[in-house]
Order: sequence, then structure tokens, then C-alpha cells
Amino acid sequence: MSFYRKIGLPLITGLFLIGAWYGFVLWTNAPSWKFPLLHEVLMAGYRERTVLFEGALETLSGAFFGFSSAVGLGFCFSVMMAASVSFRRAFYPYVLALQMIPVIVLAPVCVLYFGTSVLSVTAIAFLISFFPIVANTTQGLISTDQNLVDLFKMCNASRIQEVALLRVPYALPHFLTGMRISATLAPIGAIAGEFYAGSAGGAGGLGFLAIVYNARSQVAELYATGFIACFCGFIFVSVVLVLNWWLLHKWHDSIERKDL
Amino acid sequence: MERRSSFVSLKNIGKRYGQGPWVLDDLSCEIDQGEFVSLIGPSGCGKSTLLKLIASLSPPSKGEIEIEGSPSEMAREHMAFIFQEATLLPWLNVWRNIEVPLRLKGLPQEERNQVSQKLLKLIRLEHVREHYPRQLSGGMKMRVSLARALALSPHILLMDEPFGALDEMTRNHLNEELLALREVEGWTAFFVTHSVAEAVFLSSRVLILGVGVAGVHEDIAINLPYPRSAETRESEQYQLLVREVSRKLRAVESL
Repeated sequence: MSFYRKIGLPLITGLFLIGAWYGFVLWTNAPSWKFPLLHEVLMAGYRERTVLFEGALETLSGAFFGFSSAVGLGFCFSVMMAASVSFRRAFYPYVLALQMIPVIVLAPVCVLYFGTSVLSVTAIAFLISFFPIVANTTQGLISTDQNLVDLFKMCNASRIQEVALLRVPYALPHFLTGMRISATLAPIGAIAGEFYAGSAGGAGGLGFLAIVYNARSQVAELYATGFIACFCGFIFVSVVLVLNWWLLHKWHDSIERKDL
Repeated sequence: MERRSSFVSLKNIGKRYGQGPWVLDDLSCEIDQGEFVSLIGPSGCGKSTLLKLIASLSPPSKGEIEIEGSPSEMAREHMAFIFQEATLLPWLNVWRNIEVPLRLKGLPQEERNQVSQKLLKLIRLEHVREHYPRQLSGGMKMRVSLARALALSPHILLMDEPFGALDEMTRNHLNEELLALREVEGWTAFFVTHSVAEAVFLSSRVLILGVGVAGVHEDIAINLPYPRSAETRESEQYQLLVREVSRKLRAVESL
């Protein structure tokens, strides 16, 4: 039953959608260059495998560097915001504002300053994944249970002890939630970045490939690029989910417990 | 030991938050070493606030609190606070939770192990030492919280309705355990509760506070001999005292 629900149901949905697509294309005689069938997409993907693979690597590395620097800097920034109310008041509105700026404005500006390189792509991925981490982590750090804070006070704990031994572990689930959101955003940010940064002498990431395939009306290849991008996103999210499980499964209620 | 006039001395204390009404006003009280004092009264009478003032978790708006002859903030390391909830750190197991105060004080691992081993035995939870708080029942969590409070051998134990959320049977058990521990450790206790029966069972003295009433409304001595046990609850003297305290509590509620 649980196997059927977990694997079977989504599989059936997927098969149904593919069948509907085939049915629609074959029945209406829609032009196949415009509406590529699944096997054509797979074949296109196989044909272009080297380009797509290198593109995916390029995108993944841009997303990875952007994401990990957002995680590191975001964490430090959050601790500072939690430690000082003045710091929080001074900077939080701008972090929020940064999030409101659309990527189609951010991206050309980054390209302008960092050139058409992987550095621009990294910067864009960073800017897009920074906010969710800061917002969630800060929330966790400052919403620490007042009784626990009082407990530490009764033990004459220092400010550093309070942050390191109480607030940071307390905020860990929030931090991981932020990471989970950012993990989905980072590859999207990198691809949007490549859209503007272009190939820059390298292979060009998935974003750049999308432009090329689109210009050449290679729709099947475009679809294949989409699938690969999707897969890259899954890699990111899976890593964070594993980390999440590893850090929280022993004690946090968000993870179902099977013993007892 | 040198005989002190009083162990905890509250002199004309008042507390208000901002410009709000006085939660406590003109409250004076002397408490001897080894007393078990329960604070009881309708909600809003300031009993939990008084506990926080003694713990110096929040400063009094007026008046003075002296503990063992010095201001309360100096005495903090001789006090332990037990909260309404067990307030365990969910990411640490039972063992590590008990150690927290020792770790914050910077004691070496060896000494920490010794103390927590002893306390685990005292609260009879050695079999769950590796468990995490979410795996424990409410009563077990509270016992761990109690053990943690005792880790630094406090002179004064401040308890804010610690057993309020537990069922009556567990609560009665824990009451008996608490008194047994007190026989050994000999701390002075302040205990906030809503339950008259619990207050009478535990205390050597019950203070009734009222809402908007200055000072301590009633100060009742509970002259039941220690050690007390489950049989104490059946004695006529105990039941008379419960009735007396209930009556006085009703009187302050209708003010």
C-alpha cells in the first residue's frame, strides 16, 4: 500500500500525462518540431549529451558556489543580526529590499561588474539564495524560547555561551528550512544568470544553451535542457534534505520517529 | 553554622511593567533557611512575578531583596529555577541536559559525569540516559528538569508551577519525590501553584497573594511533621489545613 502510494501514484500520473501528450500530438497532427514527443526529446538529449553535460556542470558549479557562500555568509549575518538589535534594525530592511529586486535587473548589473564569466553567475545565485537563509535563521535565533534564555541566565551563562549553545542549535531547523528554499532557488538563479552572462569562452551553462536552442528552434533540445535543469535542482534539494535528516532526526519533531 | 536572622528577606517590594498597574505592591516577608514556601493566589496576583524577582530574572520596581545577606543578583549561583514546562534542550539527550549548568560553569567532563550519574540515580532515570526529550513522558521530563536544577547543589529552589501540566497521580508521586530529595539536600524552596492540596502537602508555610492587594494577604504555617508521605494526605490534620487554606483563598478571590 505504501509502495503503491509513494511510487505507484506519481508514476501513474506521469504515464497519463505522457500518454495525453502523445495522444494530443498524434491526433491533431501538430507540427513535431513545435511539440516534440518524449522519445524525440530523449534522442535529442542523447545527441547533445556532451554539450548538455558540460553545460550542466557549469550551471551546477555556479549554483554551488553561489549557494554555499550564501549559506556561510547568511549564517554569519544572521548571528550578527540576532546579537545586536541595532544591527538588525540598520540592515534588515535592505536585505529585504534586495530580495524585491527582480533578477532581470540584478543579472545585467552583475554582468556589467563581473563580466560574462562564472563569477557573475555565482554572484547572481548568491544574491538570490541569500535572503531565505538570513530571514529564516534570524527568525530562529531571535525566537528562542524565553524560558530557555532565562535558564541560561540563571546559570550565569555568557553571551557567547548563550548564542553558541542555545540560540544556534535552537535555530538549526530554521536554518535548514532556509537552506531548503535556497537550494531550489540557486540553480534557477544560476540559469537566469547564464541567460545574461552568456557563454564567455566556456561551454556555456544550461541558461546559455536554452538561448541557443531557442534561437535555432531546436525545441526538442530545449525540452531536454529543461529536464536536465530540473535534475540539477533535485540534486541540490536532495543534498539539503539528507543534511536535514542527518542533523535533526534524533531530536526534532519535524522528522517522524519510528521507535517507541 | 552561624545563625542568621533570615535567609531570604523581602523588603517593601513592588513591581510594575512600564507604567502599568502594580502587580506586586508593598510586599515584605522574611523566610528562614530550610523553609518550603508555597505561593498561591488567583491568576494575576503576581506569584510568578515574585519568583522572577527573587531569581533576579527581572528587577523589582521598588524595595529590596536580600538573600543570605547579599542582593539577589549576587546570590544567583546559589539558586535554581524550575519552569512551568520542563524546558529541556531538545537536541541534547537526558544525560547532556542534566549537565548543562555544569558545562556553562566550565567544569571538567569528569566532574560533570560524576554529578549527572549521581542525579540520574536520584531521579531513577538511569535507563533513559541516552534518550532525547521527545521520547520521554511529561513526568519524566519534569524529573530531568528537577535533576538539572539540582546539578549545582543550589541553596534555593524556585519552582513556577512545575507540575501543573501533569495528571494528578504523577503529580502526587513527584510531590513525594520532591520532599524526599529535600530531606537529603536541604534547600529552601519557593513553590508557585494553583493547587491548594499540593501547597499544603509540600509546604512549611503557605503565602496567599491577592490581585490588587498590597503585601502578603495571608501567611499560614503548615505544622505537619516532615517526612510526609502518601498517608499524610489522609490525615485529618492535613484535610483541615486544606480546608482552611481553601477558605482563605476564596476570601481573597472575592475581594
